[in-house]
Amino acid sequence: MFRSRVVTLGVAALVLAACGGNGADAPQEKKTELTLYNDKGAWTKYFEEMGAASKQSIGLSIKPTGYTDSAQYQAFIKASFRTDVKPDLFTWQTGGMLEQIVKQKQVADTSAIWQEAIKAGDLSKDLLPYYTIGGKQYCVPMNVAYWGMFYNKRIFDKYDLKPPETWDDLVKTADTLKQNDVKAFYHTSVLFSFVWFEQLLAGTDPDLYDRLSTGRAKYTDPGVVQVMEKWKQLIDAGYFINPGDKTDPADVLKNGKAAMVSSGSWFNTSMTQRDLKAGEDYDFFVIPNLNPALPKTSMIFESGPLCSLTKAADPEAGTKYLKWWTTAEAQEKWATSRGDVSANPKVEIDDKALGAVTKDAGSGKYRLVNRYFEATPPPVLTAALDGFSKFVTQPGSYKEVLETIQQAADEYWSTQ
Amino acid sequence: MLGRFRHGYVAPAALLVAGLLYAPFLWTAYLSLTRYDGLEPPTWIGLRNFTKLFDDPALLTSTRNTLIWVVGTMVLPVGLGLLVAVLSYDLRGGAWYRLPFMLPYALSGAGLAMVWSPILSHGGIANLMLGVDTAFLQDAPANTVAMLLVWTWQQLGVNTLLFVVGLQSIPKDPIEAARLDGASGWRLFRHVIWPLMRPLTAVVVGLALVAGLKTFDIVWVLTQGGPGRNSETLAVTMYKETFVASEYGYGSAVAVMLTVVTGLASYLYLKRQVTAT
Repeated sequence: MFRSRVVTLGVAALVLAACGGNGADAPQEKKTELTLYNDKGAWTKYFEEMGAASKQSIGLSIKPTGYTDSAQYQAFIKASFRTDVKPDLFTWQTGGMLEQIVKQKQVADTSAIWQEAIKAGDLSKDLLPYYTIGGKQYCVPMNVAYWGMFYNKRIFDKYDLKPPETWDDLVKTADTLKQNDVKAFYHTSVLFSFVWFEQLLAGTDPDLYDRLSTGRAKYTDPGVVQVMEKWKQLIDAGYFINPGDKTDPADVLKNGKAAMVSSGSWFNTSMTQRDLKAGEDYDFFVIPNLNPALPKTSMIFESGPLCSLTKAADPEAGTKYLKWWTTAEAQEKWATSRGDVSANPKVEIDDKALGAVTKDAGSGKYRLVNRYFEATPPPVLTAALDGFSKFVTQPGSYKEVLETIQQAADEYWSTQ
Repeated sequence: MLGRFRHGYVAPAALLVAGLLYAPFLWTAYLSLTRYDGLEPPTWIGLRNFTKLFDDPALLTSTRNTLIWVVGTMVLPVGLGLLVAVLSYDLRGGAWYRLPFMLPYALSGAGLAMVWSPILSHGGIANLMLGVDTAFLQDAPANTVAMLLVWTWQQLGVNTLLFVVGLQSIPKDPIEAARLDGASGWRLFRHVIWPLMRPLTAVVVGLALVAGLKTFDIVWVLTQGGPGRNSETLAVTMYKETFVASEYGYGSAVAVMLTVVTGLASYLYLKRQVTAT
């Protein structure tokens, strides 16, 4: 009996050992293909193209694995910190999310890459703060995006409308469209429910926006309540499509279900995928401030990082790849294939409107405001996304919504 | 000879069950007593997650929606499945009548939701066909009822199949005897067929009970529990708290509560059925 138990345990131990990963002292592997995990499943084709280009240029290719559910993706990346299954490269978010993982001391320091790239003019100093934690840089910009209004040019031409210069112009445009039974704006109750909140708040009081993101203002403060009331007025005026419409916003714009979609410049990729031409089928304008007294137009800005881990199978290869990623050669390809702007100031894109915005943004014409998604700590963000999702379907609930978000904010900031 | 090695034969399965079921469950139970963001080591906070559960208005909504799912799952897919089975099981070519109900069962929960999303969306196919302007997935609890109907569309076939198998396998003699005594239609079903099918019904309803309690995929894909958390079920709340809000401790507390409720409901239900038969 005893012997059979020993045999059983022995077999089990062998099975477990066979299932386990490499030992801690296994020789470090030199890789020629790096895994790139990302939550941008729709961009697999573009990542593959980059892999082919990098293989030619630096002898390293990439194998992208794209998730479409960001929650699942984040859980996988977090779990990888505790296991041997580590991505060589992965995409992430700036702000609180990046701080969270940097604390684990496994994200590779990219300070040297940044210094070199800034010196060579491949990265702008303006981006540094988004990637700096405790005086060091981590990750490099996978993408940057400026937010503004994409509009259906054919609808604008039909009703003789021009891109608005002021907030009042924008409202007049929405009125004209309404008179012609066209919904002016897109909004949604799923995930991107925060878009109009950040736009209206940043265009009214960008300082309050910053204070709110850092816990120095409350969601129940009069300034925030007024923004919600303004948002409610716009919804009540009938300018928005139904937030329950599940049509992809790119199709909403293409089909003319709504004449305008507020989005980041990456929306251009969706337009490209639908064979739509900038300047002919659609175009882009900077959304004017709600408060005309502000010295600069507030523009929502986002940058998504591409990171590597110190404990990955071949960290040197990861660093080499990130360095290549910032170069003009890589960025030219990355921006052109997606029709989007680049983090590298040397790269110019064909889209005239977006090209001009990028140039102006680089010269300090706008007040860049970090996107709400990155600027807000994750636990507050979750409550806020749910709250705004409720608000867009029941605009009368704004006070209750703000109180619920503030509860989550109080809970979070009390532990910081 | 066989006796000496009997533990050896069972060991692989036992190890798998212990490693893949009991160990994660115990880990989840432990996490439910901690604050944990998935990265920093868990901090022990005792029962605070559980006290928070009872103060959380979102959990009240999730519980209400889960109850709708449980009752709805037992009434609609099971009740209609029984009806289709009874009406078709002794018909010539009955299998052909049942076939359309069976086909949707081939879809996974997530696939099912993907198919129905453009149908139920505002301005979607259902709006066009019915000539209405309703966002079926927007207002609670109507959005839960809409998803329940979708679920019925998928589950009806398998319940029908189970009932047909049950109807075909019950002894024919008592039915013949009852017919000779003049029983037919509803009376024959109510007093003879239904009692004979009781063991099978217990299983079908038991499965429906558990399926209702753990409803997740269809809700997650169609509404993600929204808008504003109004269509969340307990399983969706568990997922959202854990993986979206990164509140692994609180999410684990919801998981423990859901496990206790499911275990208790199944135990009480099956105990009642066993006692009755």
